[in-house]
Amino acid sequence: MSMQSLMHVQTNGAGVVSRRHFLRSVAAGAAGAGLLGWKEALAAQAPELRREGKACILLFMRGGPSQFETFDPKPGHANGGPTQAIDTAVEGIRLAEGWTNVAREMRSIALIRSLTNREGEHQRATYQMHTGYVPLAAVRYPSIGSIVASEIAPRDFDLPHFVSVGNRFSTIGSGFLGMQFAPFVVGNPNQMPANVELPGGTNQGRFDRRLNLMTDLERDFAEAGGQQLVQSHQALYSSAANMVRSPRIRAFDLSQEAAAVRDRYGRNAFGSGCLLARRLVEAGVTFVEVELNGWDTHQDNFNRSKSLSETADAGFAALVRDLRERGRLDRTLVIWMGEFGRTPRINGNTGRDHYPRAFSVALAGCGIRGGQVIGSTSAGGNDITNRPVGVADLFCTFCHALGINPRKENVSPIGRPVPIVDGGQHVRELFA
Amino acid sequence: MRLVTSIWGQGRTWGLVLGLFLVSSARGDAPKADAKAKPKPVLPTGTMDTSDWLKYDTAALQPGEIDRLVETTLKKANITPASLTTDEQFLRRVYIDLVGKPPAPSDIVEFLKDKTPNKRAAVIDRLLASDDFARHWALYFRDVIASRTTSFQARIFARHFDRWMTEQFKENKSWADITRALLTATGEMRNDTPDKNGQAFFLGSRMGADAVTERAAETSRIFLGIQIQCAQCHDHPSDVWKRNQFHEFAAYFARLRERPIFENMRIVGQALMSVPFGEHRMPDANDPKKGTPMSPRFLDGKAPTASGKFKFAALSDVERRKALADAIVSRENPWFAAAFVNRIWGELMGQSFYQPIDDLGPQKEALMPEVLARIAASFRGSDYDIKGLFRVIANSQTYQRQTRPGEAGEEHLLFAAHNPVRMGANALWQNLVNTLGDLSPRGGFFPKKGFGPFAGPFSLEGLFKQEFGFDPSSKSDEIEGSVSQALLLMNSPVINQKIRASQGNVLARILATYESDDEALRALYLKTLSRRPSEREMERCKTHLRGVANRAEAFEDILWALINSTEFQTKR
Repeated sequence: MSMQSLMHVQTNGAGVVSRRHFLRSVAAGAAGAGLLGWKEALAAQAPELRREGKACILLFMRGGPSQFETFDPKPGHANGGPTQAIDTAVEGIRLAEGWTNVAREMRSIALIRSLTNREGEHQRATYQMHTGYVPLAAVRYPSIGSIVASEIAPRDFDLPHFVSVGNRFSTIGSGFLGMQFAPFVVGNPNQMPANVELPGGTNQGRFDRRLNLMTDLERDFAEAGGQQLVQSHQALYSSAANMVRSPRIRAFDLSQEAAAVRDRYGRNAFGSGCLLARRLVEAGVTFVEVELNGWDTHQDNFNRSKSLSETADAGFAALVRDLRERGRLDRTLVIWMGEFGRTPRINGNTGRDHYPRAFSVALAGCGIRGGQVIGSTSAGGNDITNRPVGVADLFCTFCHALGINPRKENVSPIGRPVPIVDGGQHVRELFA
Repeated sequence: MRLVTSIWGQGRTWGLVLGLFLVSSARGDAPKADAKAKPKPVLPTGTMDTSDWLKYDTAALQPGEIDRLVETTLKKANITPASLTTDEQFLRRVYIDLVGKPPAPSDIVEFLKDKTPNKRAAVIDRLLASDDFARHWALYFRDVIASRTTSFQARIFARHFDRWMTEQFKENKSWADITRALLTATGEMRNDTPDKNGQAFFLGSRMGADAVTERAAETSRIFLGIQIQCAQCHDHPSDVWKRNQFHEFAAYFARLRERPIFENMRIVGQALMSVPFGEHRMPDANDPKKGTPMSPRFLDGKAPTASGKFKFAALSDVERRKALADAIVSRENPWFAAAFVNRIWGELMGQSFYQPIDDLGPQKEALMPEVLARIAASFRGSDYDIKGLFRVIANSQTYQRQTRPGEAGEEHLLFAAHNPVRMGANALWQNLVNTLGDLSPRGGFFPKKGFGPFAGPFSLEGLFKQEFGFDPSSKSDEIEGSVSQALLLMNSPVINQKIRASQGNVLARILATYESDDEALRALYLKTLSRRPSEREMERCKTHLRGVANRAEAFEDILWALINSTEFQTKR
């Protein structure tokens, strides 16, 4: 797309540009219009970022993982329960038992043990940890995946910019950023995604023949007043058809990986998701989210956390190691987090309840200096004793790593300016 | 009323987006594109305050009155309205609008044969009286509410609302009665009794720390069309609402709580309950831990008073919410009617007076506000008769105009032509089922029919509605398709199986019935797009038939192309 056509995009008095109008004006000026979104054009002030090919993988631990059983163990304290700590590749940093593979990768990984928030209800906290904002009826905030895609995704690309693995039903979408940056949801990473392959009885030739027929049969409706709808529709169909035809679609096909690699990631949905994330990022996808559900351990916390940790440990560690060995880690931010932590007090069902006041996050890649711990909690894990980090600080940190200006304002449909992150400061020490 | 006469530049040369409510021209300075622009229609916009609305006649609208009002303005703006729809075009539109699905081929054939002069009015009456009308519009309002709930888990109760709201529409309850029921709802919604207390969904679908302010914001948005929530944190920079007004409005909900219902350690439902004391606090702007307790006060500045000698702070939860419902549905409050009329008109016409559909207010610019004001006044005069409103709009020539080529979409058509818009997910699914037949899996583990927004998540219906759903309060040009939608319609094995000309499928029946390709094509068009094909379309299809040796295979391609076409997904 030429800058010429970008110049023609202007906003009205409220700073709002019509999305459909933009799509059309682009369609008039450039081939492959379906790949371009209005927001993308407005974000064109950072073309160099797109060339850098930065990407982000979010490993989301749905349910709220216990910090005591993951990255902030408290062996010896009553709150710590039976969980022991293990040494890592970095002297002085200890993780909960079960995290042996991640411990080996510790030089690449930084921990924040002092994340603090107020939201203790699953859906609301999940929303906040995805968007940076608490839910509000008036504004549909975009997920971090959509924000990153809209800011730094490459323009001419035939796969979706944002892929979400393993969560079919409650993915947080692109909000007011529009469908262009909506997550493409893959329910089961061990299969090709739904509907990307031609149905039985249809080969490539027949598919093209049908698309041509459809395009021709749209002319009457376009001429009778449906022109713009037809243009956006055809742009969309050309994106979808490009995806179906793209050789890169094989990035979704894990059967191309060696058995030993698949074993290392873990032969489960999360491990496969991590491997898929690596393949997609290498194919040029900007943001991949992989979910591991089940961390809501109100009952039987220790056994359940142990088994979940084994799964998470294998996938997370294999991902970081592969990205590093394949030279992609310096441009890929890997985030491990859940919606909140769990209570220091062990409840009557040997479980832990929701605790947003002090919990842990792990980060790697994209300029993050591994092998360090930010912040700390008290001996019993009740309070933060050093360097509290809020959700806005965390989101500013993501932005900083990916080269996104967190103060940039997008405009919601009712004309409200919405900064990418509202307040906060990135955690400087992570990049030192 | 302040009428702003502004210049509506075509803006094509610049690709310049002149938003509907031209801020610059409202201030009086003409856009720069002006010099290059072609003929300049006058854009009849204006703002309305409370007293302006109340000046209009509340008598029932006379036949043709809407058209006279619209056409007077169009004439001044030098715009010729589009031609009236053909019977075919009208029938598809009115079916999709009123009952959420296109007409069956037999309905179309019968309607075309009918020679009675008032057959359009008759079909409108018949559709309004049908249960499908009630179901379709109940789902619409379910989506209005559920699209913005902040308690995701409470969405399970959307099906309770569906059922309750369907009954309200069946009985033609007034919009005031429905609103009052939603705002004063109390009691339990239980998972196992979806027939009970669906009116509690609106307030019950919010929970947590922000439930009070969310209820206030959504009440104002949906029932008044006034977006006061921007004033929650600061006085609104471009509107009249002050921060304390928002929190006084929120104070109506200060004593309402929601709680889960536990039985045998399991959550089996949710209840709305009153608490005897407590006030909503407006947080201190500098120190969020401090706050000022607020008393309920309506946007017009009037505060409810307790009956008898009790002082005001003693108003109970129920009294507060009754007082709020009274103030909202009062005939002295014109915003209530204006918001509803603007919404229904917008849905039927494809464009509304105020845009977005739920963003009215004394400082917002409306297009042809005098037309909206007259319709809204008559709606008040009718005691908020919902079917009466649908009837009068659907019978107008303004509603029955064709779409028109040229600029459309973000530029307003000034109600001189119909604006084609995407069909909602429910209507589109119906369209697909009407065309291809039953798409639900047979037998097996999965539930046959779904319900609610998460309807049978494993059925194609559930996936489809999730994929194609959108917030009905969005502006039509903000609603976009997605790649997953396109992939689903293009490649879904279930849909493609039904497209095949194999035994029992629609295509097999058509091809067996009509030996002539012309007749088969006409039948196929009627089935998919509710119209006959144009000559050009016939020619294109026949070229395809000649190019593909196998007749069934060629027809499968044509059916695929029609189902995947823009028009199939569009109300036109």
